[in-house]
Amino acid sequence: MARYLLRRLNLFLATSLVLFAVLFIVTSQFPVEQRFALTGIQSPSAEQIAQIEADYKLNSGKFNQFIAYLQQRLGGNLGISATSQRPVADELASVLPASFELAAVAGFLALAFGLPLGILASLSRHKVTQHTIMAITLTGYSIPVFWLGLTLSLWFGVQLGWLPISGRLNLLYEIEPVTGFILIDTLISSSPYSTSAFLDALLHIILPAVTLAVLPFTVVVRITRAAMISIMEQTYIKAAEARGLHTSRIVLRHALPNALIPVIKNLGLMLGTFASYAIVVEVIFSWPGVGAWLVSGIYQRDYTAIQGGVLAVALIIIFLSIMIEVLHTTMNPLSRKELYASN
Amino acid sequence: MPQIKIYQGDEIPSPMLKIWHTFADNPFAFAGLWAVVGFLLLAVFGPFIAPYSPEHQDPHALLLAPSWDPAGTVEHFLGTDDLGRDIFSRLLHGAHLTFGVALAIVLTSLVLGFIIGSISGMMKGLKSSILSHLLDALLSIPSLLMAILVVAVMGPGLNNVFWAVGIALTPQFVRAIHQAIHEELQKEYVKAAKLDGANPIQIFWYVIMPNVWDTVIIQTTLGISAAILDIAALGFLNLGAQAPSPEWGAMVSQGMDNILTAPWTVTIPGVAILCSVLAINLVGDGLRSALSPINN
Amino acid sequence: MPLLDIRNLTIELDTPHGRVKALERVSLTINPAEVHGLVGESGSGRSLLARAILGIPGHNWSITADRMMWDGRNLLEMSPKQRRNLMGGEISMIFQDPSSSLDPVISIGDQLIEAMPSHQNIPFWRRGKKRKQTAEKWLHKVGIKNTDRVMSSYAWELSEGECQKVMIAMAVANQPRLLIADEPTNSMEVQTQAQIFRLLSKLNQLQGVSILLISHELETLSMWCDQLSVMYCGQIMESGPTSEIVERPFHPYTKTLLDNIPNYSGTMTHKSMMPTLPGSAPALQHLPIGCRLGPRCPEAQKKCVNKPNLCHKKNRYFACHFPYHEEQCNDDSTPSS
Repeated sequence: MARYLLRRLNLFLATSLVLFAVLFIVTSQFPVEQRFALTGIQSPSAEQIAQIEADYKLNSGKFNQFIAYLQQRLGGNLGISATSQRPVADELASVLPASFELAAVAGFLALAFGLPLGILASLSRHKVTQHTIMAITLTGYSIPVFWLGLTLSLWFGVQLGWLPISGRLNLLYEIEPVTGFILIDTLISSSPYSTSAFLDALLHIILPAVTLAVLPFTVVVRITRAAMISIMEQTYIKAAEARGLHTSRIVLRHALPNALIPVIKNLGLMLGTFASYAIVVEVIFSWPGVGAWLVSGIYQRDYTAIQGGVLAVALIIIFLSIMIEVLHTTMNPLSRKELYASN
Repeated sequence: MPQIKIYQGDEIPSPMLKIWHTFADNPFAFAGLWAVVGFLLLAVFGPFIAPYSPEHQDPHALLLAPSWDPAGTVEHFLGTDDLGRDIFSRLLHGAHLTFGVALAIVLTSLVLGFIIGSISGMMKGLKSSILSHLLDALLSIPSLLMAILVVAVMGPGLNNVFWAVGIALTPQFVRAIHQAIHEELQKEYVKAAKLDGANPIQIFWYVIMPNVWDTVIIQTTLGISAAILDIAALGFLNLGAQAPSPEWGAMVSQGMDNILTAPWTVTIPGVAILCSVLAINLVGDGLRSALSPINN
Repeated sequence: MPLLDIRNLTIELDTPHGRVKALERVSLTINPAEVHGLVGESGSGRSLLARAILGIPGHNWSITADRMMWDGRNLLEMSPKQRRNLMGGEISMIFQDPSSSLDPVISIGDQLIEAMPSHQNIPFWRRGKKRKQTAEKWLHKVGIKNTDRVMSSYAWELSEGECQKVMIAMAVANQPRLLIADEPTNSMEVQTQAQIFRLLSKLNQLQGVSILLISHELETLSMWCDQLSVMYCGQIMESGPTSEIVERPFHPYTKTLLDNIPNYSGTMTHKSMMPTLPGSAPALQHLPIGCRLGPRCPEAQKKCVNKPNLCHKKNRYFACHFPYHEEQCNDDSTPSS
């Protein structure tokens, strides 16, 4: 197991290295001066130029430049944002929690509703139910997320007026950011309106989270259903029935753990698409997360922000996908068998 | 004299025919196939049947409702936008921008991915492992972020979307084909063919490829739907096709200003995107279930 | 009174090629504390019969029977819940592929403990421990020595023989009255096979469990069984005490099966043909009418297009128009429906 973890860590490092290399190459291709692309300082003074050239070893060979670039980036120096003149690392720290919060709520919604529905769908042998579920999930899978977001905000936000359609919290509330997660911050804040602020934050997160949850929800339903159907035909389920166990016990204890394995695997594969969707959702609902920040960086030609954002998001995705793979391995004794066999 | 069937016997259909029968038995998949054919025809012949040119502005019919609305007219079947442009004509002209470009992107990256994936799949050892790490890194960058990078380098525009989505899609094809070939290589029948004295090219083409085609087909349908959604999303974010272009995603973004007074300017292009992606996914789903009994 | 008494059980399957009678009018009687062998080729419907007795039908089955009595109670009239209670409690089953009959993601110990009976008379906080002890006791009984290792491993870490022993331990822990063993020794070495059979016959003798032993090897079955039923293509051909059947088979199919047992005495001449039945078993969608052995039977005549009734002679049953060593019993010309 230790050896396996070491190999995963190795994979993480190698993949991150490749990512840095890609970003380094892209940085040199930006249609602006390289110094500006690297640091974000618009009109540097003479000593700043000397400092930049020393930091990034701009006068030596490409390889040395890459090493220097790597040193700077790993040291936490992501340059400063050209628009706000603040360090990109600080800006990232302020926008990342919002994105995490949205993603976590959406992921929770998708799993909390997707798993039970997938199981129920698998237990139904009725043709009409099966076709209905297939049609609904396939539509949810095909729907363009920006259009879905617009339609939902038009219905629930504007025409029915039930839910707010932009931002994380009503501007009237003043909540001190502690963790960056608005749902937690409003709860722990000492403000006398903390409960109503929490409810307001909850109302704000519903529309973006539901919009973002549609894709993982449909994927979870489909995978769970397919996995459950194939597992319920397995011999060990028949054997469990032959032992006289209750159907509910068979489903929950024997079939579900087996069905979760492909679900987890597909969650890992879906991360990239999920992140793409999250960017669009953040733009539509003006959610102050890393996606909206990145897109505004593009509009304003803020090259350091683009680099920093892409780097952060890609690193998080690499890390999460490796974590999901490890989780997959620990949950699935069968993949450990392959592990032993391959070593 | 016609041949008389004396014996009662099953004619065993060829695998292709069997897949076709399973596919055709699924009404949803079949409907999807017809819809895809329809969209293909629209992508090719759409501009010829469109009643107006995409930029034609009718100053007397601004924000006209679709024809089924009491306020609408039949001249502008799906209504007009805030500049008086006919939405139906723009949709037809946009079909080859969204649907056609998506197909072109997928075809290009499929060919590229197929070549790289087969070479890397047949390789062993360090080279193969380096390549797969490289692909993992590229895959971990979400397609939209990849597109943002490309746009940052090359600037927005539909031509650059081609590269952006293509670069994001190619690693997926490479990895799928690489993995499929790698898995097949481990199996016993490949070993048997090797013992028969087949050289690597024969093994690749005659032994492994017949078992990889279904992966390629399924991956292609997934790729097309992802490409349409990405092109539309980039158009929506103003990073792809620019303002006057009738690309469907860009049309949604142009209609956003009038979403309250004229919701159809947003709804109709959105429905067009939904239908095209749904059709592709229906076909893909049908193909997957038709192909899967062979794998089992 | 027989433990299990089945008359004219018919199972029809809905397949893409239409409705198929996979099992046609099968009758079977199992007495308490006997080992009943069921021999037949693969595909002859033995597993269907076993699953129908146990009560875990597939979703495209339809089962009809004149009578299906379990210890004086009618199985056909029971609700699914009552059937489920019967399973595991009074009837249990072991499968032909033991390693895939165990859940791959849960350890053997957990599954074993789950299958143990719960003792209602001791307080609930000690029940868990008690169940674990029972599980270990049963593992010992089926001949597994290092219980801790086995209980902490997963199904794929054990050999087929060990898996089958675990399955047997689970099956007999609730002290069933009938154990259905569906090819329990498929794909095992001869040594392990012998161990499993010895274990089963020991259970039969010590606990008084009736066993329905399903196999395709007439030779092994005749060694371990008191009663024997021979099946071909979903029809019972012959049934009776093992020793009598082996000595004087009535049915042509039984006779060929006995003749097909390889002769190791060295009396066969060099390059002589091995005795086999011509042709092969028909596919389910092309079953012949009447006696399904008809097209392959050495004794077949025109009459065989009608299905012969099951004849009862002393303690033996057979379904044939032209039996060996015996007068034909159903020469009534009315075709049996």
